Amino acid sequence: MTNFITALVLGAFFGFSLNKAGLTKYNKIVNVFRFTDMAVLQFMMTALVVAMSGLFALRGLGLITFPAVPATYIVGNIIGGLIFGVGMALTGY
Amino acid sequence: MKFVLNYIRREEWSPYVAGILLGIVGIAAVWLSNSLLGASGAFENLAGMIGKALAPAAFDNMYFNFIMPPGITYGVMLLVGVFFGGMIGAATSGTLKWGKKDAANSDSQWKRIFGASTAKRWALAFVGAIILEYAAGIAGGCTSGLAISGGMLLAPAAFLFIAGMFASGIVTALVIYRKNY
Repeated sequence: MTNFITALVLGAFFGFSLNKAGLTKYNKIVNVFRFTDMAVLQFMMTALVVAMSGLFALRGLGLITFPAVPATYIVGNIIGGLIFGVGMALTGY
Repeated sequence: MKFVLNYIRREEWSPYVAGILLGIVGIAAVWLSNSLLGASGAFENLAGMIGKALAPAAFDNMYFNFIMPPGITYGVMLLVGVFFGGMIGAATSGTLKWGKKDAANSDSQWKRIFGASTAKRWALAFVGAIILEYAAGIAGGCTSGLAISGGMLLAPAAFLFIAGMFASGIVTALVIYRKNY
C-alpha cells in the first residue's frame, strides 16, 4: 500500500516535469525529429545524467541495490526501437 | 522564494531544469520502492486484466501469465500519478484546457500539416498509439521505462532502443513533412 502511494507521488512529479518541459505537446516531440527543437533530447539526456550519477553514487555508498535491469536482446531492442520511432513521430507521444 | 514560485508558474521550463527534476524522481523510484519509471507496461497490465475477465482462454498465454501479469501494479499507480501530475503542471501555468473548446485538438503545427479535422487527429493518435505500444512490447519498454530508466542503470538495451527510435523517427518525420521538413 505504501508502495502504491509512493508510486502515485512519484508519478505526479514525473508528469509535472514532462508537462513543464513541454513533452506533452505534439510539436515538441515531432520537432526533435526535424532538428528544429532539441528540448526532448536536452530533457532526456539531463535526466539520464542526473539519475545515473546519483544512482551509481548511492550504490557505491551501499545505500541502494539496483532493481532488475531491462533485458538486452539486441535484435528485439533495435526492431522495437525502429517501430517505436514511427509511432512516436506519428502520435507525438 | 518568490523566484521559485514564479518559475513554477511559467508554462515552459528550461528542459535542463525539468530534466534534473526527472532525474531526481528516477533516483527516488529506485531508492524508495526499488522499481523503475515505466509507463507502457501499465497499459498491458490493464489490458491483461480486462482480457482475462472477458476472454480468459485468449489471454491464457506466456506473455500475460509471466511477462506482463495483469492487475493493478506499481506501474498502473505511477501512470495515474503521471496523469494528475501533468494536470497540475498545466494548472500551475494556467494552460489547463479541461472542458475548453479546442481541448481535443489544439496544436497549431498539427493543423498546419494535417488540416483542422479533430477526427483525423484522434484516428492518427489511435493508430500511432497501437504502433507505440506494440513496439514497446517487443523492445521491453518505452521512452521512460527503457530509454530513461534503463539508461540510468547503464543497460545496453536502452541505448540500442534510443538509436532505433531516432533513426526511424527522423525517417517518419521526413515522410510526413516532405516539403515542409
